[in-house]
Amino acid sequence: MENILEVKNLCKKYDNFELKNISFILPKGMIMGLIGENGAGKTTTIKAILDIIKKYKGDIKIFGLDNRKDDKKIKEDIGVVLDDMFFPEILTPNDIDNSMKGIYTNWDSEMFQNYLKKFSLVSNKQIKTFSKGMRKKLEIVTALSHHPKLLILDEPTAGLDPIARSEVIDIFQSFIENDDCSILLSSHITTDLERVADYITFINNGEILLSKTKDELLDKYGIVKCTEAEFKKIQRNDYIKYIKNKYEYEVLVENKNTFKLKYKIKVIDKITLDDLMFLMIKGEE
Amino acid sequence: MIGFIKKDIAMIKNNFKSLAILIIIYVVMGLFGEMDISFVLPFMAVMIMISTFSYDTYNKWDAYSVSLPNGRKNVVKSKYITTLLIILIVSIIITILSILIAYNKSKIVNYEEILLSMMGNIFATLLVLSLMYPTIYKFGIEKARIGIFIAVFGIVIIFGFISKFIDFSNFLSIFSFLENYWAITLLVVSIITVYISYIISLKIQLKKEF
Repeated sequence: MENILEVKNLCKKYDNFELKNISFILPKGMIMGLIGENGAGKTTTIKAILDIIKKYKGDIKIFGLDNRKDDKKIKEDIGVVLDDMFFPEILTPNDIDNSMKGIYTNWDSEMFQNYLKKFSLVSNKQIKTFSKGMRKKLEIVTALSHHPKLLILDEPTAGLDPIARSEVIDIFQSFIENDDCSILLSSHITTDLERVADYITFINNGEILLSKTKDELLDKYGIVKCTEAEFKKIQRNDYIKYIKNKYEYEVLVENKNTFKLKYKIKVIDKITLDDLMFLMIKGEE
Repeated sequence: MIGFIKKDIAMIKNNFKSLAILIIIYVVMGLFGEMDISFVLPFMAVMIMISTFSYDTYNKWDAYSVSLPNGRKNVVKSKYITTLLIILIVSIIITILSILIAYNKSKIVNYEEILLSMMGNIFATLLVLSLMYPTIYKFGIEKARIGIFIAVFGIVIIFGFISKFIDFSNFLSIFSFLENYWAITLLVVSIITVYISYIISLKIQLKKEF
C-alpha cells in the first residue's frame, strides 16, 4: 500500500514545549485521527507538515515528495482547515471563490458554489456576519473545492452542532470513497473519529503514545472494572494503566480476550477513545 | 499569484465605504480650503494598505496562506503589486480632482505643477511604504505601526534639530547636476527602493514561523 503521508522523527523545540520523535504513516485511502489533550502537540505536528513552522528536525514526505523542497507541487493537492486561520473576515464566499480561481490550478467554482448552497451559506455576505459553525463549514468547503488528494484538518468539527457535524462527516466519508485520497484530522470530539477514522494516533506531551488502526484499538483494548483484591492479583505486564476510583479499580488492558482467559473475568467493557485518552493520561502504571 | 491580488483588492473594495467618506472629506477640504489635496495620496495609500494588513493579522491569513500553493512568496509579492495598483488608482483620482478643483477656483490649471506635486507625493508614499512593509513582516502590524510613528517623528525632530546648526544647501548642491532629470531620478530611486524593500520582506516571510 502506498503512503500518502510519512512523518519520520519529527522534533521541534520551544522554550516550554517539545515535539519528540513524532513518526507515523498515513496510507492512501485512509483517515487518520490525531487525538490528545490541548497542548499535546497535534497542531504543532500539523503546522510542521504544512511547513507553517520552521526549524524542525525530521523528514516529512507527502505524496512521496519532500514537504519543503516540493512545496508548491504538494500544496496544489492538499486541502486544509486550520484552527483560527483563514481568509480575512471582511471577505465574502464569492470573494474567496474568485481568489481561489487564481490560486489553485484545479479550483472548481461550480463545486464550491454547490457546497455553499448545500450548507445554506450565503455567497455574498461577509464572513464576519457568519456564526462560528457557518465559518467552519465555509473553511471545510474551501478546503474541498480544488479536488485535493489529502485533507489536513485541525479540529474541523469544533463549534458545529450535531447535525452539521454529521453532514460534514458524511462529506469526509464520500471524499474518501476515492481510493487515492486520504485525511489527517485532529479532533477533540472522539465520537466523530470513532465513526470515520481508520487509524488513531495518540499524542501526549509532544510524544506519540500509540498509532494503530481504530479497529485494533477498539476491538482488542478493554477496561476491566474490579475490586482492590482482584486488582492485586493482576500481574504488572498484563495491564497498561489503572485508575483507582472510590468503589472500584478501572484497569486498561491491551488484549481483552487473552486477559479474559487468563483471569477468568467474564465482563470486560469495550473501550471508547475518550476512555483510552483518559486512562492513558491520568492513569497510574 | 493573481488570486492573492484579487483577495487584497476585494478587501479594499469591501472596505470602500469608510474610504469613500475620507475621499469626500478631502475633496470638500480642497474645494473650500486653500490647500493642495495631492498630499492626500500618502495618507490614503498608507491607510488603505494598513487596513488590509490589520484584517490579515486578525484572521491569521498569513499563516493560512502558507498552506496554499506558493503561499509564503505570493502573499508578499501580491501585497507589493496591490500597493502599486492602489497608488496608481489613487494618483489618477487625485490628479483629476486637483485639476477640477483648480479649474473651479481660478479657471487656470497649471498641469505641470499638479503633475510634479503628484510625482513628489508618489515618491514619498513609496518611500514610506517601502520602510513600513519589512517592519510589518518582521514585527507584525501592531508593533510596526507604533515603530513607524516613532521613527517618522524621530527623523523629523532630528533633522529639524540638525538643520539649525548645519546648512544643508551645500550638501544638496552636490545633486544639482540632476536638476534637469528630477523625474527620471525619482523614478529610478523609487524602483530600487521598492525592490530592495520587497526582497527584505520576502526574506523575512520565507523564514517566518506562525
